Amino acid sequence: MTRASWNRLAWTLALLLLAVPFVFPFLWMVSAGFKSVTEIFGAPNLIPRVWRYENFVEVFTYQPFARQYFNSLYIAGVVTILTLLISSLAGYALARIRFVGAGLLMLLLVTALMMPDEVTIIPNFFLIRWLGLVDTHWPLILLPVFGAQGVVATFLMRQYFLSLPKELEEAAKMDGLSRFGIWWKIAIPMSRPALAAVAIITFLNSWNLFLEPLIFLSSLEKFTLPLALSNFNDSYGLPLWNLQLAATTLTVIPVLIIYLIAQRQIVESFALSGVKG
Amino acid sequence: MASVKLQDLRKTFGSVEIIRGIDLDIADGEFVVFVGPSGCGKSTLLRLIAGLEPITHGELTIGDRVVNDVPASARGVAMVFQSYALYPHLTVRENMGFGLKVRKVARAEREKAVSKAAALLKLEALLDRYPRQLSGGQRQRVAIGRAIVANPSVFLFDEPLSNLDAELRVHMRSEIASLHQRVATTMIYVTHDQVEAMTLADRIVVLKDGRVEQVGAPQELYERPANIFVAQFIGSPKMNILKADTAAALSPGGSLPLSATQCGVRPEHLRVGSAAQPGLPGTVVMAEYAGAETLLHIQLENGDTCLALHRDGPPPRVQSAVTLTAEPGRTYAFDADGVAVHTSS
Amino acid sequence: MTSSLSHRSGAQARAPWLTLQRRDAIEGWLFVSPTLLGFLIFFLGPLIAIFIYAMSDWNFLSGEATFVGLTNFEDALLENPDFWHVLRNSAVFALGLVPLNVALALFLAVALSRPFRGVIIFRTIFFAPVITSAIAWAIVWKFMLQGEGGPINQMLALIGITGPNWLREPNWAMAAVIVTRVIKMVGLNMILYIAALQAIPRDYDEAAGLEGASRWQIFRLITWPLLGPTTLVIVVLTTIGSFKVFDHIYQMTGGGPENGTLVLAFYIYQQGFQFFDIGYASALAIIMFVIVTILTLIQVSLRRKDDA
Repeated sequence: MTRASWNRLAWTLALLLLAVPFVFPFLWMVSAGFKSVTEIFGAPNLIPRVWRYENFVEVFTYQPFARQYFNSLYIAGVVTILTLLISSLAGYALARIRFVGAGLLMLLLVTALMMPDEVTIIPNFFLIRWLGLVDTHWPLILLPVFGAQGVVATFLMRQYFLSLPKELEEAAKMDGLSRFGIWWKIAIPMSRPALAAVAIITFLNSWNLFLEPLIFLSSLEKFTLPLALSNFNDSYGLPLWNLQLAATTLTVIPVLIIYLIAQRQIVESFALSGVKG
Repeated sequence: MASVKLQDLRKTFGSVEIIRGIDLDIADGEFVVFVGPSGCGKSTLLRLIAGLEPITHGELTIGDRVVNDVPASARGVAMVFQSYALYPHLTVRENMGFGLKVRKVARAEREKAVSKAAALLKLEALLDRYPRQLSGGQRQRVAIGRAIVANPSVFLFDEPLSNLDAELRVHMRSEIASLHQRVATTMIYVTHDQVEAMTLADRIVVLKDGRVEQVGAPQELYERPANIFVAQFIGSPKMNILKADTAAALSPGGSLPLSATQCGVRPEHLRVGSAAQPGLPGTVVMAEYAGAETLLHIQLENGDTCLALHRDGPPPRVQSAVTLTAEPGRTYAFDADGVAVHTSS
Repeated sequence: MTSSLSHRSGAQARAPWLTLQRRDAIEGWLFVSPTLLGFLIFFLGPLIAIFIYAMSDWNFLSGEATFVGLTNFEDALLENPDFWHVLRNSAVFALGLVPLNVALALFLAVALSRPFRGVIIFRTIFFAPVITSAIAWAIVWKFMLQGEGGPINQMLALIGITGPNWLREPNWAMAAVIVTRVIKMVGLNMILYIAALQAIPRDYDEAAGLEGASRWQIFRLITWPLLGPTTLVIVVLTTIGSFKVFDHIYQMTGGGPENGTLVLAFYIYQQGFQFFDIGYASALAIIMFVIVTILTLIQVSLRRKDDA
């Protein structure tokens, strides 16, 4: 072999080795989800000796898991739609409308851009309690839409609107469209890539949200998935591994499948935002 | 149709004054061209008239209305943009009819207006295409068609030909000229290209640093420039500016006004003679042959370079000594500030 | 004239109050009003509130709040050893996570920025944990890292190594939490680096190659300096990210063992929502606010310079 092909082989081997801790957890999660508790703690084997499909049934009887699944889905959906609407409106104004105070507003919003929810969670808890919204889904919708998440989306939309040709919107203005009309009929239809990025990131963030559900929710049937997952414990608080991993499988695999289908789009969305994590 | 009147119009962005007090009367049906180097404020001035930028100071009247605070769409103006600004998600037909649709004009009437404009611009075959399926020239025609459909009292053009190649530019220029003849609507046209300005305009407004340098018919600007800036901006190649004492040799027998310190003469008005003849002596340092004419770069004895267009007969060779004389009555006198000094007065 | 641009009634024209600037301002504020309102209620208001809470001794259970001035800060900064322990943990976490994450991300990006067979598969694999929920990721790793019967230790046993009880020994727990977090998040930095690498014109490499530079020299002398701005941004973003880590710790270790993985975000939650010490938790939140604000300002100014 030539030096170049040895080189390539070495790189590929290194990558394969590195890939192990990225792939292995997913494989083991699925595998353990199909095992009995005794087998889980037996000798390590990736393929279950006895496939215990019952785990996946028990997941739904141990907790109202279907309901919790639905909660996560609909909350993420609502959060995504609201975020798209509100952030594209504000992003448009900050990109295109010249108004007094816009600079100051941007500065204020920047402070929220990366602020962890932990900083404001205590007053927000009292606020939500005062509004009588504890143990409802409202805080799970309101806090992400108006928190750092929403600000990130706003800046993303603003950046994209700035990159659009201004003359189109001016032509629309001369054609008699109102500001709202220009936003809705001209700017929004031309901003699909940015809207898609905001939608993907927002949806995933809501889907994975943990602190807010942990603090605000107490009824099992109101739980969202991450909270439900962390709740597969026995009466001593120890994890029921087979159920917990079966439930985790049920929540992770659909996301992974969508990710595999829309891999390019999803990765690009994160590259575009470049602010998360 | 409408006249347009600008009174002490000013525009500042932050602390920078872009338009510094412009007064202008544009008659109904007139074709006026704003011309000037980049950064002179010509596009901003057009956008103030269009209503795309708020006016900082002064008064803008279109027809008999002060329109300072009338939104763009209610001013009765239509604009053709440099980048055409066609909506990418709409067909040609929808693009042209968009403004009427927004204004809730009935479908039948809309269709009629669109087909009329399409016929005028020979766009019938393209009506169901999308902008991305059109060539640059076609897009330009659609953009003009969209403006026509709006049936405005004033057409505004913002460097509409600058994205086209040279040949198409000449063609579209004549189309716009003939459009103006047919519709006879007031048109205001912005360009940085003085040839475009000369060929299209009834009147040209030369702008520099947010101020009007001169307003006049093309011929007037060419023959009686108000100052050195206009004299050099209008006409190509650029007018030569010489010191008054040097220039005296150009017109044996003639004399410049006393107050003149500088003298202008256009390359096309210079005659190149052999070294023996009377006139301003110099040496040919470069000759640019262009068929019908040759542009000569002539170095004067004081080191200045002077341009001369040579038309008839074989041009003098490079490095040969020549003398320059000006056609009678074709020299322009300017004072120390560059303002024209008229011989007649 | 039957102009379609019919001159509407002069009402707008004659109303000197509604100038075009005013119209712009009204529309601008109208467009941002939902964002602004939400921001005031759910961010700025609470932000001001933590400064007030922080100056009170307020146990949520007893209900009484008394004004105590800066006592909570004195508590945190001078007297309470837990606070310094937590801050040290946060620092260790950041110092462990950031270099590991950035170095690995750069390595992966360099390996995966040029097309070859399978490059998409590798990129997909390394990015997959990023979109996975932190809780799910932590559950799986907690399972894998169990002392007895955990897959990792079972496999180590096969080659004769007795693995530690990873999540029950403070130092191992911190290491485990850092490494598993790096694996989860490195894909994000990887794609940021890939984007930056792909933006570097190949001419540079080729020119250097013609001059006889080795691949390592090309990387060290050309690629790495050109990646400088990206690296700065990535380092700051990753550092901020490391201060945000909550669900990962919550699920894997619960801050233990012996508070060995108790980091600031988790400590705020613990003090506020498990011990109900609102005043003290708010003082902690302010400290976090200050840290993140400083990092945000650094990152914003880096971006500015980047744009210029």
